[in-house]
Amino acid sequence: MKILHLYHDIMNLYGEYGNVRAVERILQKSNANPEVVTATLGDSVNFDDFDFIYIGSGTEKNQKIVLDDFKKYTNQLNDYIEAGKVALFTGNSFEMLGKSITDADSNKYDGMGIFDFETVEQNKTRVTSDVIFTADFLDEPLVGFVNKCSEIKGVETPIFDVKMGIGNCSGDKKEGVMLNHMYGTHLTGPVLIKNPYFLEYIAKILSGNTDKFEVFTDYLSYERAGYEVTLSELTKRMENNSN
Amino acid sequence: MKVLFTIIVCKILRFIGKLVGKGSSLPGQIALKICPDILKRVQLPKYIIAVTGSNGKTSTVEMIAHILTQNGKNVAWNKEGSNQIEGVTTLILNSATLTGKVKSDILLIESDERFAQYTFKYIVPTHYVITNLYRDQLTRNGHPEWVYNAIKDSIHPETTLILNADDPLVSSFGKDRENVIWFGADKLSSDTEKFVGVYNDGAYCPICKSPMKYSTYHYDHIGHYECTSCGYKRHNTEYTVTAVDLQKGEAQINGKYTIKLALKSLYNIYNLLAAFTVASIAGIDQDKIAKNISNYVLKNGRVVTFELGGRRGMLLTSKHENSISYNQSIRLACADTNGCDVMFIVDAVSRKYFTSDVSWLWDIYFEMLNNDNVRQIVLAGKYCNDLAVRFSYTDIPSDKIKVTEDIGQACEYLDSDRKEYIYVITCFSDKDKFLGKVKVD
Repeated sequence: MKILHLYHDIMNLYGEYGNVRAVERILQKSNANPEVVTATLGDSVNFDDFDFIYIGSGTEKNQKIVLDDFKKYTNQLNDYIEAGKVALFTGNSFEMLGKSITDADSNKYDGMGIFDFETVEQNKTRVTSDVIFTADFLDEPLVGFVNKCSEIKGVETPIFDVKMGIGNCSGDKKEGVMLNHMYGTHLTGPVLIKNPYFLEYIAKILSGNTDKFEVFTDYLSYERAGYEVTLSELTKRMENNSN
Repeated sequence: MKVLFTIIVCKILRFIGKLVGKGSSLPGQIALKICPDILKRVQLPKYIIAVTGSNGKTSTVEMIAHILTQNGKNVAWNKEGSNQIEGVTTLILNSATLTGKVKSDILLIESDERFAQYTFKYIVPTHYVITNLYRDQLTRNGHPEWVYNAIKDSIHPETTLILNADDPLVSSFGKDRENVIWFGADKLSSDTEKFVGVYNDGAYCPICKSPMKYSTYHYDHIGHYECTSCGYKRHNTEYTVTAVDLQKGEAQINGKYTIKLALKSLYNIYNLLAAFTVASIAGIDQDKIAKNISNYVLKNGRVVTFELGGRRGMLLTSKHENSISYNQSIRLACADTNGCDVMFIVDAVSRKYFTSDVSWLWDIYFEMLNNDNVRQIVLAGKYCNDLAVRFSYTDIPSDKIKVTEDIGQACEYLDSDRKEYIYVITCFSDKDKFLGKVKVD
């Protein structure tokens, strides 16, 4: 199993390498023999070689530099998603997949155009929130944190329902974008560490995509305990706020 | 009349506030309501020194105030650490005569980095120290470039900037600017040739975003850098740490002043150097400055020694959501050649706002603790499971690690006949939960 961590040294704002380590570990524990490859600006890789691709979040400035480089993979990424392979984009990395990103100075950058949504940034307020999201395909809600300065409009295939926190744009109760097994979400940080059930789900898809190895999860006890604490803290918070 | 009235109200509120133990923000807040441009209407002293940055503000300001006061200057400064516009307004009006003249020789302001633009709308600092820009409270601050932009809006063209040359992002405030005074460290014996840490915020040039090359790293992304493309590089320094011996606890400034370190961390040396720089600029004799800061023990309570049963230890207040602050504390513990136990407490991520986010644990270089000097590690507090997960991704043997949510139980566990010194690394939000259970010196 090959894992590609793209732009690992520039789209790495919130300890997000943890996502790659989490996938690597669950594959190791499941005897699926993972190998992690990193590639950054100016490198060239073939997506066909990989089973899981990950990009984390960056500063607004870094995201534009990366976008310029990332576009060379547009066709490859389309084929990869089409083939039902697994990719995860967290934070503002998934904004690159849309039609355009407009920065706070009104400069408009063309996106990869895989989706029709458009992103507009501002530089006045950092929009942050602890969140609880749910998805049809997951039995347990997701917990995490969103930290952004953009509004994303026109997402037709979001992933999550927002139970607490913020969605793709103000007032939106939906978050992220998905297509086949490509997941984009503004959740930042080590999402797959904080959400062991989501990690397990991803591992099962990876298993289904390949030689159907048995996914081993017994080792996740601290992860599950940590998840329960955060979910309970956030739930209390949500209930207090609605009272 | 309005100025007089505002000043009187502010002074009275502050007086009452002190009696009942209230913070110093409220009087200023009310003063600003009565007279929004009050800061423009007061007469300020010749020297207005501002200090901002992610880490080290409070310690740096305390040391500057200490040196200046020791040398007969009358300094007005925000001792209580209320560092947004309200607290600064309280400070200024409380130090002013009823006609609005600040009586001190020097006004010394610690300023919150994100809100500096509001504080310095009416007050134009003569000197503005920027210590560093790190990942700090990302759940509020976004990221260092976001904070950079906020600080940028607070800088007046006529202000002399005093910048940390070893921090590439901070240094970019001084690009193409003449009135800048630089401080930094020469290549030191404690430096590394390769980057040490989990993430490198100096990997790309802040100006053109090409890869940067470092000839030496002091710690994290602090060091001597040069862009491989646009030529942006570390500036030469006027105020320089020329040598350190952390084992001995000594640092040398400008090749001739030896400073004894009460806290043996590089981090602390930068605060000392910034204070040395400011005091020199204010005209204090450098021999005297060196004496004043040698062996100086900070009074802000961030380092506390204690007794736990028969054992000795030190609490190092570090900032949650601030990996470099943690890395420095960890480095200090790891350097203890007598052997030590280390306890981490993450119980409330912040004392000021709610968040349950623990992403920042993944930016801390806990791997450093896989070191023979570190004997046992205790992980405590509500988020002990998240700490345990993070540690499971280091190579530290799991039999060295004890995980227990209850801080009292963690203390009982440490109250053994072991002889090792104990380092407790935690934040303002959690430190009293520990200090309440031990005998503080």
